Amino acid sequence: MRSEPPREPLLRLRGVTKLYEAGAGRVVGLSDVDLEIGAGEFVAVMGPSGSGKSTLMNILGCLDVPTSGTYEIKGTSVAGLSSDHLSELRNREIGFVFQVFHLLPRYTALRNVELPLIYAGVPREERARRALEELRAVGLEDRKGHLTNELSGGQKQRVAIARALVNKPSLLLADEPTGNLDTRSGEELMEILAGLNASGVTVVLVTHDPVLARRAHRTVYIVDGRLVSVERFREIRG
Amino acid sequence: MTRINFVEVAFDSLRINRLRSALTMLGVIIGVAAVILLVSLGQGTKNYVEEQFAGLGSNILIVTPGKIETKGGPPIIGSARHKLTLNDSRILEKKGYLFAGVAPVVFGTAEVRYQNRSRNISVLGVTPAFQDVRNLHVEIGSFLGEADVESRRRVCVLGRTVKRELFGNANALGQTVKVAGTLFRVVGIMEKKGISLAIDIDDLVFVPVRTAQELFDIDGLFEILISVRNTNDLDSGKELATSLLKRAHNRNEDFTITNQAAILSSLYTILDTLTYVLGGIAAISLLVGGIGIMNIMLVTVKERTNEIGIRKAVGARNRDILLQFLFESTALATAGGIAGILAGVAGAWALKLLVPKLPVSIPAWSILLSFTFSAFVGVFFGVYPAKKAASLNPIEALRYE
Repeated sequence: MRSEPPREPLLRLRGVTKLYEAGAGRVVGLSDVDLEIGAGEFVAVMGPSGSGKSTLMNILGCLDVPTSGTYEIKGTSVAGLSSDHLSELRNREIGFVFQVFHLLPRYTALRNVELPLIYAGVPREERARRALEELRAVGLEDRKGHLTNELSGGQKQRVAIARALVNKPSLLLADEPTGNLDTRSGEELMEILAGLNASGVTVVLVTHDPVLARRAHRTVYIVDGRLVSVERFREIRG
Repeated sequence: MTRINFVEVAFDSLRINRLRSALTMLGVIIGVAAVILLVSLGQGTKNYVEEQFAGLGSNILIVTPGKIETKGGPPIIGSARHKLTLNDSRILEKKGYLFAGVAPVVFGTAEVRYQNRSRNISVLGVTPAFQDVRNLHVEIGSFLGEADVESRRRVCVLGRTVKRELFGNANALGQTVKVAGTLFRVVGIMEKKGISLAIDIDDLVFVPVRTAQELFDIDGLFEILISVRNTNDLDSGKELATSLLKRAHNRNEDFTITNQAAILSSLYTILDTLTYVLGGIAAISLLVGGIGIMNIMLVTVKERTNEIGIRKAVGARNRDILLQFLFESTALATAGGIAGILAGVAGAWALKLLVPKLPVSIPAWSILLSFTFSAFVGVFFGVYPAKKAASLNPIEALRYE
């Protein structure tokens, strides 16, 4: 679906460090992270809470920029981009699926899915058409007129996936997407993600659940802001 | 490619939060309605006064006895040391080449009785010139004539109200009434005129000026009314009258000449100022309404932090958020302004129905001004909350619950 030249990964992090100013001193969010993710990959990021998972996710999702090191998407560095440029980058390249859904309540499912297209400047009719297409893909065409606060958790997360994919991003970033779902809805959601990946979408799944991580092509482990080997990870977790 | 429809986004948001939108608008609605209503009230007052003075004409000079040192008003009653006389009036009439008419007036109150009905009424002693100078005319019969004045005849002309009160529907012409115990023959009935200068013109009795002097036992005059031929000659007419009367009074300026138009114009200035002051006070409430918008928008930004985070995550730029919130506040203020105009106009109409005497009128400028002001208020008080919303950090905004 998305053809990348060989040897040129979709995402590339080199020595990425993120520091936070917090009260008295600095808190290390990420420390010297090197990571490459190719187009079409399905990568799981695992780590205990406070390990830097969210920081990594924010940087991958262009919600935040590294303190030092470089992060490139399709060979373009995000360093020094203004917040407006980052917004455009998110709009074009990244689709988010959050644990707490982050849908606009009191807006219809269709309106929610349209949201990225509004900011992409897509005309109204085309917007509605593409959003409906995307809702159909997650099996919620008949719920397009429902307000999102009327939907079940599983349905909400499927709306969120439709929204994430509506502008054909390069990367789908899912942050504990099953965290607020029951087991069955969680299973269904993982099926959808796997299916999307099979059809060519690059997926990065942030989770602390090894069962979910097993669905990915590969898993990176993060502890105290550093990427570690699986052995080291198991050692630390005991 | 950046054809962001922030208008659509803003309207979506306003529609979804109908109650909040309506309550926010209320402040502006009340403010604008108050501006329009109060300005209309001020304008109505001015119209009322104008109507009252309209019959008087703008070409009138009023000569009253006595001189006061401070300028700008008629002398206090009873302060006159030297009287105005019919002779003065005659001099003005004979030598006042700028004057269309000179009308000496004697004023008193007397009991007027017909059969068993009696009333206490103001009695004016006048000459035939009074008709044209004050623009008051007889409807039935005739007005007082020169001969009536010279011979001190006991004839009278009744105002409409007096006629109705004393005679009802019966014919009054040729009947005799008792004025302060003296018999007077009714020679005419005045046309209906209404209230002017807080005096009910219809509730007067007119008698020849000399007869009135005799009746009230006075030899002076209450005032002399002069109508000037040409309105442009009001000032020179005043000078002429002054020099003529000074000569007649041994060079003493023991009288006062008032230019009615000048007093009116300063009165109108006061009334205009009153209108502006009322409008200004109302504008303060509009300002408060604007602050209400800012207040709600600030609360809204806080409350919708998560929404802002979501919008930014999916690609909204700072400018998109800024314009959305700015447009929301402007739309609220403008819609509130329009609703306020409707409410204000409706209120002014209601006032007109309730108080028919007050000719309430809505000046177009008050509508234009309050609308512009409310739109301005929306932009002005929307900028700060909108900037605040736009500058939110998306990560923190997403985390906010």
